[in-house]
Amino acid sequence: MKRYVIRRLLMAVPLLLAISFVCFVFINLIPSNPAEVALRVQQMPVITEEAIAEMEEMLGLNKPFLIRYFDWVLGCLRGDFGISYVNPARTVAGELARCLPATLQLAAASFVIVVVLSIPIGFLCAVYKDGWFDKIMRGIVFVSTAMPAYWVGLLLMWGVSVKLGLLPTNGSGSVRHLILPAFTVALSYISTYIRLIRNNMLENMKQDYVLYANVRGLPQKSVLVKHILKNSMHTCIVAMGMSIPQLIAGTIVVENVFSWPGLGTLCISSIFNRDLPVIQTYVLLIGVLFVAFNLIFDVLQTVSDPRLRREK
Amino acid sequence: MKRNCMAALLSGVLLISALAGCGQASAPSAAAEKSSAAAEESAAAKDELVFVNYRDIRDLNPHLYAGEMYAQSILYDTLVSNTEDGYVGCLAEDWSISEDGRVYTFNIRDGVKFSDGTPCDANAILANFNAILENRERHTWLEMMNLLESVSAPDADTFVIEMSEPYYPMLTELACIRPFAMISPNCMIDGSTKDGVNGYIGTGPYVLTDFVTDEYAVFERNENYWGEAPAIQKITVKVIPDNQTRIMAMENGEIDLIFGKNMLDADAISQYVDSEKFTVGLSDPTSTRHIVLNTTHEILGDAGVRRALQHATNREAISQGVFYGLEPAADTLYSATVPYCDVELEPYEYDMELAAQLLDESGWKLGGDGVREKDGKKLELDLLYNSDSVTEKTISEFLQSEYQKLGISMKIHGEEEQSYRDNMKAGNFDMVFNICWGMPYDPQSSLAAMRAPVYGDYAAQQGLEDKAEIDQAITDILTSTDETKRQELYDFVLTRLHEDAVYIPLTYETNKALYRSELKGVHFGTDQYDVDFAGMYFE
Repeated sequence: MKRYVIRRLLMAVPLLLAISFVCFVFINLIPSNPAEVALRVQQMPVITEEAIAEMEEMLGLNKPFLIRYFDWVLGCLRGDFGISYVNPARTVAGELARCLPATLQLAAASFVIVVVLSIPIGFLCAVYKDGWFDKIMRGIVFVSTAMPAYWVGLLLMWGVSVKLGLLPTNGSGSVRHLILPAFTVALSYISTYIRLIRNNMLENMKQDYVLYANVRGLPQKSVLVKHILKNSMHTCIVAMGMSIPQLIAGTIVVENVFSWPGLGTLCISSIFNRDLPVIQTYVLLIGVLFVAFNLIFDVLQTVSDPRLRREK
Repeated sequence: MKRNCMAALLSGVLLISALAGCGQASAPSAAAEKSSAAAEESAAAKDELVFVNYRDIRDLNPHLYAGEMYAQSILYDTLVSNTEDGYVGCLAEDWSISEDGRVYTFNIRDGVKFSDGTPCDANAILANFNAILENRERHTWLEMMNLLESVSAPDADTFVIEMSEPYYPMLTELACIRPFAMISPNCMIDGSTKDGVNGYIGTGPYVLTDFVTDEYAVFERNENYWGEAPAIQKITVKVIPDNQTRIMAMENGEIDLIFGKNMLDADAISQYVDSEKFTVGLSDPTSTRHIVLNTTHEILGDAGVRRALQHATNREAISQGVFYGLEPAADTLYSATVPYCDVELEPYEYDMELAAQLLDESGWKLGGDGVREKDGKKLELDLLYNSDSVTEKTISEFLQSEYQKLGISMKIHGEEEQSYRDNMKAGNFDMVFNICWGMPYDPQSSLAAMRAPVYGDYAAQQGLEDKAEIDQAITDILTSTDETKRQELYDFVLTRLHEDAVYIPLTYETNKALYRSELKGVHFGTDQYDVDFAGMYFE
């Protein structure tokens, strides 16, 4: 077991290096000169060659490409992700640290909504398969998966905030501010998990152990909850675990719509301002999260499922 | 049976919760409660304004360019202000200019203090100028920085600037909040501001009392302000990056004022034109959207073709179709409201027949495939636009179809902002979109820049026979000390550029505001980035 974990950890190193290289290369392929963009973002009415040269030196852009890459990777290992091109008074690490809590809060709230809504609904859909509840839910799932989060967010804002006046349209600071964005982020995941739980349960219902339980005369409720649901949750837990980094990454658009001061808003404004160090580090961070959660849940699954352990 | 019961129960729960949700909102008592709360809030909040911006205030060091200008202009003051009624004294009570136009002597206003209590006398102003000059290279986009010879403070009330040559836009440039706003010397780090400051203390009507990055900033009235106290006591600026969300927040009563050139979509504004609850404000032209024609191009080198394009451009249709009339059609490179630009120029009327006739006269005859030809060469042009701008793409497509009718085959291609700018600067274009610098830099600074490869103008004008003459006249304008002579020179330059048909003016950009109708005194100043909070009040 220990060897397995160590092997997986070592395998993650080249993967992370590859991620860092790819995001550095791709971002540096953007045909903008970040020094000039930085000056433009600062509303310099005229951008002279001297100003660009000065800015390039200040941002360290006059060094060759590979040296900049290695400087960056070495810096990252030390936790120094560079300075923001747009606001050289700020470090990238500081910017991320400032925005991360808000995003985690939003992702956590969404995750709770996903769990609380998708498990019971998925369960009921499976129990009343092809009943009217199932049919309605399948319709809703179908529609809500197809709607882009940006649009859902605006619709909710218009309906709930402007028309009904129940919640603030945007901003942060209280639970009331959190509801709409969290629900918007959660919506597409709810749909996914309803389907996943429903299908898993239907699969499990065909298994022999269910027949055996029924034969034993166990009450219907206990068969459904203690046996079928429990067994169906295995795959769901892994999928949900894996969706945590997805949730964090998926808040980008929604945060921007609701002016939620998290990583997504930071990322979008960095993209508009071509603030390359921030974008690079954000991509790297999300990459690391995916690798880490993948690793953790693989290990957890191996621990929890004896069958997988034996194969190793 | 059991299943049916559960389904019925569940549906009942859903139905009740749905009804409860609707009922709560539509119940009269709840609505009344809400409106009375709102009324109470507005009664108490009469001197508090909630403003919105798409990004954070950032670094408000006035000697650098990384902060929001609306915020800098309420925190800090300059020596003089540029208003609709001309220059007025600000930190300088009055000033005199020497005979030869080289020496400016400012009499500093007595008793002005920074909000930290430090007196703002000539010495504080000198300290500011020294800090600005330490970073001189950065500010050379202002021509006065190149001409400035020395600054001094002979006594606490007098501040003197000496120039190497007379320069007429001197006061306009000194009125620029960046970099000429005065910050408390206590905020400087070792007398310097170029590497940052440790506070945002000015002499302006407001002080910054609180801010959370990317969320909000709060400005409160400066109780020791030297001028007339503004009516609004507290300004909260919320950060809302999304255009749609801003409108929703406005509808929901969370903000009072949206202000700026790109803060509102044209269709969003047109929705509120007749609204009672909200008022729409449009400024005079701030800058001109135009197409630059490259006179070194083998086809566009012919003034006849350039004039034909002018006549083939339906500006009114662009103004109405793309901007819902919110950006008026532009007849000339600078609007007549721009200083010195009220010059009698005959606009190029939209007239397709005349355009066709001009092309015929230039030797471009319609070919069999509907494209004009001359000496076996087809009349093919290329229009470059910034692909980040949806507006420019729309206008391009419209013009493409219009010019097609004349037998001009125009290719349009968009490029990412940076390469669009690089191509423009290098002159790699036949036709390209551009926007004037706008107030208060028009016309003097943008004309001055035509003499060097800063924007596309320099490259585009190289094919003009009278380019040298125009450049000389621009240089003379800047150093002229005689008002009549200056106007004559402007007349000459603007007439030449107009008759040479180098620029196809399209529309005049305007500043837009959308605000609650109770808010009064919203107006547009002489600087397009400035928001005049001091003149606003609630009714």
